[in-house]
Amino acid sequence: MSENGIDERRKLLFRQKSMRVASSYLRRIAALGNLPESVRPFLDVLKQVSVDFQPVSMIAERKTVGTFCLMVPPELVEAAGAVPVRLCSGSYTAYSIGDGIAPRDACPLVKAVLGMEEMGISPLYEDCKLFIIPVTCDCKKKLAGMLGERRPTAILSVPSSKEQDSDTEQFLRELYRLIPVLEQYTGGRVTAGTLAESINRRGYAQYEMSRFFTFRRNVPYLLYGTQAMAIMNALSYMPALEWGECLHRVNEELAGRLAKRQFVARENRPRILITGSPVTFPNIKIPLLIEEMGGMLVADETCLGERSLYDPVVVTDRSLDGMMRAIANRYIRPCTCPSFVENRQRIFRIRQMIKDYQVQGVICHILRGCLVYDYEYQRLEEELEELHIPVIRVESDYNEEDVEQLRIRIEAFIELIKRRDVVRKKSGEKVL
Amino acid sequence: MKSYFAGLDGGSTYLKAALLKDGQVVGTMARSTGIDNNQSAASLLDELCYQSGISRDDIGYTMATGYSRKILSVADDDISEITAHACGARITAPDGFLPGMIVDIGGQDSKIIYLDRDYNIKNFTMNDKCAAGTGKFMEVIAQLLETTIDQVGPLSLESREPCDINSTCVVFAQSEVISLVARQFDRKDILAGMHLSMAKRIIKMMKKSERNGDILMTGGGAMNIGIRKAFEEELMRPVYVADHPQFNGAIGAALIASERG
Repeated sequence: MSENGIDERRKLLFRQKSMRVASSYLRRIAALGNLPESVRPFLDVLKQVSVDFQPVSMIAERKTVGTFCLMVPPELVEAAGAVPVRLCSGSYTAYSIGDGIAPRDACPLVKAVLGMEEMGISPLYEDCKLFIIPVTCDCKKKLAGMLGERRPTAILSVPSSKEQDSDTEQFLRELYRLIPVLEQYTGGRVTAGTLAESINRRGYAQYEMSRFFTFRRNVPYLLYGTQAMAIMNALSYMPALEWGECLHRVNEELAGRLAKRQFVARENRPRILITGSPVTFPNIKIPLLIEEMGGMLVADETCLGERSLYDPVVVTDRSLDGMMRAIANRYIRPCTCPSFVENRQRIFRIRQMIKDYQVQGVICHILRGCLVYDYEYQRLEEELEELHIPVIRVESDYNEEDVEQLRIRIEAFIELIKRRDVVRKKSGEKVL
Repeated sequence: MKSYFAGLDGGSTYLKAALLKDGQVVGTMARSTGIDNNQSAASLLDELCYQSGISRDDIGYTMATGYSRKILSVADDDISEITAHACGARITAPDGFLPGMIVDIGGQDSKIIYLDRDYNIKNFTMNDKCAAGTGKFMEVIAQLLETTIDQVGPLSLESREPCDINSTCVVFAQSEVISLVARQFDRKDILAGMHLSMAKRIIKMMKKSERNGDILMTGGGAMNIGIRKAFEEELMRPVYVADHPQFNGAIGAALIASERG
C-alpha cells in the first residue's frame, strides 16, 4: 500500500474510534433521563463536531477563527465578521495521537489539540484559516509555537498579572494589534457600530444564561448538571446569538417544568460544584460519574463552563476606544484562570457560588500535568475547611482507564456528604 | 425484629463477612475471592450463619462493600469501602483511641481516611495506579523470599540493619529485591526494608495538615506486625491496629446495615 493509503487508513480508524467514544458519551448524557427536548440542538452541535466530523450547520459558510482559552474576546472576532470557535479539545482519541507529539507530562487537553491538528480530518479545525492563541499556561504557550509553525496564527500576549491598570493597558494594546489581523482575514471592519452589536449579542446570551442559572438553582432539580455542562460546552462552537436563542427555548421549557412541578430528581441528592481544569465534551466523565452515582452537579467553576460567559462587558463610553477598554477589562480583571500570578478572585467566586447554589461539596478536577490548578488546591482546601464544605481533589487523564478509580472516589464523596446530613439532622440542625 | 446484621466485603484478594449483634462482632469469616464472587458470597454467608448457630432469616439487613459490592445479590444494598472502613473503626478501634486517621492497607489499594472526633469522614486519599504500598506488594516479595505472608512480619522484627529499597514500583522493587538476594543480604533485613519502603510510600499520601488524633491501621496489611513497626518508626508516633483488621470493612458495612434494619 502506498504511504498515502496508510495515511487514509489511519484517518479512517481515528474517525471510527472518535465516533465510538463521543457517541457513547452523548448517549450517557441523554440516559441520565428527563432530557429537555430543547437541549437537543446543543447535543446536535456536539455530535456534529465530535461524532460526525461535519461542519457545524449553524456556522457553515461563515468564516471562523480558531481560539483557545477564554482571553480572546469573541466580541472582537464577531465585530470583524467572523465566528470564533474554541478549539480546546476533550477528545480521548485525539489525545492518544497527541501523546506522541507533546512531551509526556504535557496536559491532555493540549495533546488532544495537537492530535486533532495532526489528523486533519475535523472541519471545525480545518476551516479555521486563522488561529488566535493567548499565552496563558506553559502548555498553551508551547502549543502556540507548535501550531504557529503549521498555519496562520496570531499570538495574544496575556499579562501575567491582572492587578494593575498597566496590566489592562498592556492587554488593550494587544487587542488593538489584533484588529488589523482580523480585518485582513475577514475583509470586514471593526467599528464602534459592529463592536456594539457583537457586545449586545453576547449580552443577550449572558442574560439567558443568568435566567438559566436561576432554574439550575432550583431545589428539587429541574435538569441534570451534566446536561447543563453540555449546553455550556456547545458555546465553543456556536455564535453567541444563536446559542442564546437556543438557551431561551431551554429556559421556556424549564419554566414550564417548574410550573408543573416536574422535577428530574429529588432534593436529597447532594449538591456538588466542580472546579479546576477544563471539562469539555467528550471528556465529560466526571460530571457523568457525579450524577450517575447519585449526586447533583449544581454548578461549575471552569473555563469551558460558566466562567466563559459569567462576567458582562461593562460599557460606559460608547466610542470604539471606550468599548475596547471595556473588553480589555472584562477579559483580564475578573478572569479566574490560575495562569495569573495572583488569583484571589477564584476563591471569592467559589465562595459566592457555594452560597448561591447551596453547594454541599466541591470536587476539584485536576487534569494530569495541569500544574497551575494544582497549585491552587491547597488554598482552596483551607478556605473550604473554614466553611465546613468538604472538598476532594480528583486527578484524571484523557482516557477511560481511570474511571473505576474516579468512581470509587466520587461515590465515597457523595456518601460522605449524605452521612454528614444524617449526623446534622440527628443533632437537630436544619438541613435542606 | 431481627437482631443480626451482616456485612460483606468483596475485596480484590479475599471475600470477607462479618456478623453483628447489638453492635458487637459475633462472627467473621474470609475466603479467597473466586471468579464467581456472587456465588462465593452466598455460600460464605451461609457458612458464617452456620458457624454462629443462626439461619439466614435471622439477618435483618446485609450491606456489601469492596470491589465486587455492586454484584453481590445476597446483599440488600452497598456502600463504598471508604465509608465502610470509617464506620468499622467505631467498633474495632482500641479503647482510648482518639479518632484522627485510618490507614487501610488492602490487597490492591491503600487509602487514608481522615476522621473527626465523632468518626465522621472529613476527607480521604487513595493510591493511584500503583501497587507499591499494598498487600499485593507484600505477597510478591514474600514469594520471592520463599516465605509466606503471615511470616514476613515476625521475620522482619529480627532485623538489625534493614536494607534500602528505593523503587516506587512493585515491578522495579521486585528486581531490586532480587539483586539484594543475589548479593546475599539476609532475608529479614530485606523484609524490614520492604516494610519501611511501604510505610514511606503510604506516608507520602498523608496530608501534613491532618496529623491530629491517633492513627488506626486496618485491612489485611495491618495484620503484619512489621508494617506497624515501620509506620511507627517513620512517623515517630504510636500506630494502633484495629481489632479484626482484615474484617474492618465488613464490620463497618454490617454496622451501617444495622442502622438500616
